[in-house]
Amino acid sequence: MRPSVVLTFMSYEVRRALARRKVLIFVAFTILLDTIPYYILSTSHLTVIPASDYPYLWVAGVFAPLSFFIQFIAIFIAAGAMSEEYEQGTAEMLLSKPVSRTEYFVGKFLGGYFLLFCIVVLNSLLSILAATATFGNQSSLSIVPGVVLVETYASLLFYSVAFMLGELIRRSSISYIFATAVYFASDLAGLYISIVSELTGTNSFKVIQMYIPTSPEGSLSLQYAISNLPSGAARILQFISATGPVEPSTIFSALLIGAYFLVSTAVALAFFSRYDVSKKVG
Amino acid sequence: MGQAVISFLSSVKDYGRKEIGPVDFSVEKGEIFGFLGPNGSGKTTCIRMLLGLVRPTSGRVELKGLDPLKNHVQALRKVGYSPELPNIQTFLTPSDLLKLTASEVGLKPSEVQREISTMLETVGLAEYVNVKVGKLSKGMIQRLAIATALMGSPEVLVMDEPMIGLDPAGTAHLRDVFRDFAKGGGTILLSSHMMDEVEDLCSSVAMIHNGRVLFKGPVAEVVTQVLGEKELVVEAKGVTDDCLKSIRGLQGVIDVRTRDGSIIVSAQKDAEVRPKIAQLIVASGAQLYTMKEGERMLERAYIDALRRAGP
Repeated sequence: MRPSVVLTFMSYEVRRALARRKVLIFVAFTILLDTIPYYILSTSHLTVIPASDYPYLWVAGVFAPLSFFIQFIAIFIAAGAMSEEYEQGTAEMLLSKPVSRTEYFVGKFLGGYFLLFCIVVLNSLLSILAATATFGNQSSLSIVPGVVLVETYASLLFYSVAFMLGELIRRSSISYIFATAVYFASDLAGLYISIVSELTGTNSFKVIQMYIPTSPEGSLSLQYAISNLPSGAARILQFISATGPVEPSTIFSALLIGAYFLVSTAVALAFFSRYDVSKKVG
Repeated sequence: MGQAVISFLSSVKDYGRKEIGPVDFSVEKGEIFGFLGPNGSGKTTCIRMLLGLVRPTSGRVELKGLDPLKNHVQALRKVGYSPELPNIQTFLTPSDLLKLTASEVGLKPSEVQREISTMLETVGLAEYVNVKVGKLSKGMIQRLAIATALMGSPEVLVMDEPMIGLDPAGTAHLRDVFRDFAKGGGTILLSSHMMDEVEDLCSSVAMIHNGRVLFKGPVAEVVTQVLGEKELVVEAKGVTDDCLKSIRGLQGVIDVRTRDGSIIVSAQKDAEVRPKIAQLIVASGAQLYTMKEGERMLERAYIDALRRAGP
């Protein structure tokens, strides 16, 4: 595999994803989500936020979108990465050159993932800036680079699943729907199992819940934050995630995300390597 | 026999509802080979097998002696491809696309800009270097696809209906580009519906219909093989009915008729009747201007072959 060719496809994929309105709309939503709530909170003179929490309000902006918008952006970028090339018939032009399918696959995967990383960075920076502008200087910002990396890694789970579905289904709309359905079904199943587990006191339900995709994805960044942020930020973290981390440890969360990533990409790559490059569809 | 650059060796693609193949033919180095057939006959599938985009169900395809699926990078090196009705991302400009192609074909960074300028000049798109593909006409997009195929000094060109959407000047220009390419030792597989273009450019052809190769070989051979006769067009002045009758009576002549002031002689494919016809015309006191093989013979052969092959 030649790094220069992979980089070419990465750069191409970033441009291609940015040329799509859907992704840009989600980015715009993220920007609004990162700024508007701070403005509203600072101007509404609410007393629910004690002044002692002000230095940690950036935490809310950095972590809250992760549970929803960042995952959606990941799904939208990944589900269309392969499928849209088939739908538009552009894969044929790209793959009829002396490049291997693996170079193309890896380049597109990493290109979309790099864009996602940039959006996570943007989300974090905007949250910090908005919190600083509205509630004054923020504390414990030294953990932000780590948070960004952990959030990006956590997003790898649904990014990989959506990427795989895009390759298997080869229809972008259906891939988005399936990947989003996996996300919602997983989230709802996690909530349902958690309630049943609490009511029945059965431990086996908790074990099942641990392996549901949204559990490691939602747990990892919280676990990282809990272990790295001072106790002053605990109330904000509790506000973001009432139930707290599902997984027993950071390592376990990371391993589960890694496992989901490996299985999804292996399936997608095997399918892509074995099957024909389809003509224009859709 | 020359060196085969492209080989279809009993290649079959089974789509379930439809089967393409077995296809057997080869294209030799330096040849411009016409690949003919109606829509849906299997031309594009064969081309896609050749480029390693589609896996043959059975048989083999070789490009420069290599399997384009197993050795994709090596097999496709120095091979340019222009698809039928190319689909190109609309957010790219010709310059962006050619930069991407340059990277794919492994051009050195120092050569990229010069190569892009040369290619855009060659296909007449130099003025549109920074215009988004979404704003280009179909013909321009076709020319842009041809430019991508020509990037990196290819040795083999695979052209799927390259003339579609081109104006007459563009077609003539492209014809010259192909001729120059072949003169320089390049090999071209040209899939086209335009029989006059194929007849004009190609030395050999293969005709495919319903996934089966009906005929293949040098153009003249294919024509006579299909039609079973050849046609001579005689331009002469003052030819009498008696003279025409005498021509009709020559051994090997099947039919004599007039069309647009020319005399059309149909003769058996092996019969060399030209000297005798010339002799008869001159002896009758008429003036003989020219005598040549009939035009659009390939088209006639193509239509005839399809008619005989059935739906």
